[in-house]
Amino acid sequence: MFSWLSNITITCFAASYGVTLALEASRLFFRVPIRLAVMLGFAVAGWFAHTAYLLNLAQQEITAGNRIALFSDWHAWCMLAAWIMSGTYLGLILRRPKNNVGLFILPLILLFVGIAVACADSEGFPRAAVQSVWGIIHGVCLLIGTVAVMLGFAAGVMYLIQANRLKHKRMASSRIRLPSLEWLQRFNKESLHLSTTFLFLGLLSGIILSFNKHTRITWTDPVILTSTILFLWLAGVSIFEYFYRPARQGHKVAYLTLCNFVFMTIALATVFLGDHGGATVTWLFELLDQAESLAVVCESGNPDPIGGGG
Amino acid sequence: MKLQIVGCSHHQTPVELRERLAFSPDQTRTALARLHSQFPDSEAVLLSTCNRIELYTASENDDQCPTHHEIAEFFAEFHGLTESEIFVDLFERTGEEAIRHLFTVAASMDSMVVGEAQILSQVKQAYEAASAGDTAGTLLHSAFQAANRVAKRVATETAINKKRVSIPSVAVGEYAREFFEQFDDKKVLVIGAGEMGQETLKYLIDEGATNVAIINRSFPRAQQLAAEFLGEALPWEKLDEQLISADLVVSTTGATEPIVTADYFSQIQSNRYERLLFILDLAVPRDFEPEVGNFSDVYLYSVDDLAQACERNRRDREKEWPRAIKIIEEETLRYMTDLNHRATGPIIRRLRERAKEIKDEEFGRLINKLGDLDQRQQNELERSFDRLVNKLLHPPLESLRDEVETGSPHGLLDALKRLFQLKD
Repeated sequence: MFSWLSNITITCFAASYGVTLALEASRLFFRVPIRLAVMLGFAVAGWFAHTAYLLNLAQQEITAGNRIALFSDWHAWCMLAAWIMSGTYLGLILRRPKNNVGLFILPLILLFVGIAVACADSEGFPRAAVQSVWGIIHGVCLLIGTVAVMLGFAAGVMYLIQANRLKHKRMASSRIRLPSLEWLQRFNKESLHLSTTFLFLGLLSGIILSFNKHTRITWTDPVILTSTILFLWLAGVSIFEYFYRPARQGHKVAYLTLCNFVFMTIALATVFLGDHGGATVTWLFELLDQAESLAVVCESGNPDPIGGGG
Repeated sequence: MKLQIVGCSHHQTPVELRERLAFSPDQTRTALARLHSQFPDSEAVLLSTCNRIELYTASENDDQCPTHHEIAEFFAEFHGLTESEIFVDLFERTGEEAIRHLFTVAASMDSMVVGEAQILSQVKQAYEAASAGDTAGTLLHSAFQAANRVAKRVATETAINKKRVSIPSVAVGEYAREFFEQFDDKKVLVIGAGEMGQETLKYLIDEGATNVAIINRSFPRAQQLAAEFLGEALPWEKLDEQLISADLVVSTTGATEPIVTADYFSQIQSNRYERLLFILDLAVPRDFEPEVGNFSDVYLYSVDDLAQACERNRRDREKEWPRAIKIIEEETLRYMTDLNHRATGPIIRRLRERAKEIKDEEFGRLINKLGDLDQRQQNELERSFDRLVNKLLHPPLESLRDEVETGSPHGLLDALKRLFQLKD
């Protein structure tokens, strides 16, 4: 009966999110009475298609006999992260239809969908890891922590824009409509606490997982190294926030969430560029190889390095 | 039939005179009762607000309505003034002009702050007071019900009342909402007891503010204001600690120098731990040095900052003006057409009755003369008479209907009355 659901591809929901983003952006330029309803329609359609796609992925795993190890590769992990963010966006747009939150969250959703596409051919997570309790905790905590960092980043950027407009009394000249500073600050703080907690748990469980596997911790591993730096940063943020009261307020919370995002990006980049969890993004290396060979060929004077027309 | 307004408004009458002519709710009831005793066949609704005092009167016959002069006399006598003091300030509108004016007033298009919502409820209250006192009859019922409909159309079909235009309403409704999600958990500090501060406080309380502290150099005045708004009155010496704990400050003192300088505020700020602070400095000259707004997470807005937003909103409202006027014109035309239809009703009825009387008389005479006619023949003759009467009456009645569609049919009605000798 629902076999048509299996025909849903990434293009379906990525396009829906893209259209929603375009409609969000158009709100800055002109008014159309039914736009919000259309925008909501596309967002719901995208989220529905995204859900169906994830269910299909799970169904394929179950069919292949992997009942425990669902969503056990970076492609599915990124898709899940994008799906949670998309659900959050839907909740926000329903609660705050007049605010342009989509301008800040939808690009992140599309970024994760893009990373998921790039990771489509990556190997799955090591079987031993996904079937162990620590492996599952590691994956789930990092997933929630990453989503919280991303949403915190979006809220942080919104806070800084809103604070800047209000400080310089430019509120009315700008068409962008953002939530109140109080709401953004609360959202920032909550995402900061959530991300700190879950990333800490994720890193801790990762260390335990690594120790169980190798009976030692390889500190020279770039992933472990950057993860440790991320962990130290989060611990520092927590201590800083606890002892320095202004860090719990306004701009400083926003700056902390932005820094979290930067550290998170570095940590994720080392994960994707290394082979942590079988994550090697082969297309990126292929691209780098091609660029390198192109440079070599150009230096040798051959104008047709990849077989194009002369 | 006559519909008339006599009154004055903020457009041409100074506030000093409006104050002397204003009617309290009790006075309104008394005035309506007194007017009814003087002009028992006239309907009356009295609208008295801070910006206008208008008496709406209506009657089936023109001479039953009080004249402009009589109303001026009535107002003067009621308020212990002389007629000459007020006569020139009282305008008069009649018929279609009166209806258009009522619709314009109810739709808040004639208000000092165009689009403000309060006027419609004041118009409704005036009508209800007249209904309760039995001074509003069929004509004014229909006029005020139509005015209510027009006001609603203007409110829903245009954006004329969407944007706020008073400084306190803009400060709370547009700016404070950009900072705070809710107000029930916020500490509101009011410095001074200026009018603007009081009005802002009213809006904040409407938005849910409950924790209000009022500081004023005159402590009894602070207590008076605190009692009115269920806030806490505090002595001037508590200003420091209140600024530390406040989330929103409304300042309206009459001080000639800033009461909060940047140096002074820097000590406050170190104890606030950079908590968000929204300051509405509504005083002129300003109570806060502009440099206070440079502190992190402190947002200082002066009257000038808010006045710009008010002016912009006012311009936006003006863009909606033609659409609102179009609605008022449509509704005025519709109302007047309905009214004219109603006005022609009695004449048409009398004309038909007169024609029927003549027909019955002539038909009876013919039947008597012709003698033995069976029922079928009698019926056929009667139908013939009816057709004749209808054909004769059709052209004048059709002309009357056309006249109603295009405007007032009074000329034609008078002509019909005279031609067919119809008595009132």
